[in-house]
Amino acid sequence: MSKQNFISDLRARLSTLPVAEVEERINFYSEMIDDRIEDGLSEDEAVSAIGNIDDIVSQIISEIPLTTIVKEKIKPKKQLRIWEIIFLAVSSPIWLSLIISAISVILSLYISLWSVIISLWAVFISVCASIIGIIASGILHIMSSNYLAGVALGNVGVVCTGLSIFIYFGCRAATKGTLYLTKKLALGIKNCFIKKEVS
Amino acid sequence: MDIQLKRGLLDVCVLAAIKDEDSYGYKIIKDMKPYIEMSESTLYTILKRLELSEMLTVKSVEHNGRLRKYYSITEAGIRRIEDFKEEWREVMSIYRFVTKEDTGNE
Repeated sequence: MSKQNFISDLRARLSTLPVAEVEERINFYSEMIDDRIEDGLSEDEAVSAIGNIDDIVSQIISEIPLTTIVKEKIKPKKQLRIWEIIFLAVSSPIWLSLIISAISVILSLYISLWSVIISLWAVFISVCASIIGIIASGILHIMSSNYLAGVALGNVGVVCTGLSIFIYFGCRAATKGTLYLTKKLALGIKNCFIKKEVS
Repeated sequence: MDIQLKRGLLDVCVLAAIKDEDSYGYKIIKDMKPYIEMSESTLYTILKRLELSEMLTVKSVEHNGRLRKYYSITEAGIRRIEDFKEEWREVMSIYRFVTKEDTGNE
């Protein structure tokens, strides 16, 4: 692939991103290609040394915040005509409610995901708190010579401690999984905005 | 390797590559190659991050009829390298302790 093709391909695939941001990156890659050619590589070799264009595009998209992509997407590309403004205002009850419901769906998805995690950790904390309570009351029973109840409570405390270790690792794995899912979801939404423009 | 740890290490590597003299993207990658492989996209992200945290400055210089960006380290960047050395002296001593038994058996 020639340098020109590489750059125009990259520019086309990043067309929904802020222009300044895209141009800065393109200048960076262009400088890299020129330096490689100066170092003795052919143009083709210099371009392939930069890496796979799909990987480059997905890395760039993952690095740019979702809000920047959305802002750029909804920014009108040209001055709106009077009738367009009127049409937008008249149809606002439809598109505005659609946008609000789309945002609410995404938001509720995030909230429900994270509330599961919060409740899992709450279970862990309450188990830990009850362990302290059980052991303390066990000690009190032993101190008041009620040995049988004291030992029984001590045993329950040990069982709960074992249980809490399992719960801790479960909570940690669930948090990690949710974090991964949240990132994937953000990337998916970003791709929705970008791919529509390219196709 | 832990992502946060790797990110911190790569930042310091790039700072070290421009510590003695100002350098440009391709030269940074070439200088680092014997020690660590890095893609252009990764380098761009690191340079941007270091610029935002004021650990380096950027200037465009004309070279063979085109512009080439040169990166210079700042005081904050030099401090970051020094902090890194200090932190890793501690990490290395922990590493020696952790691997003590392994080397003892050899």
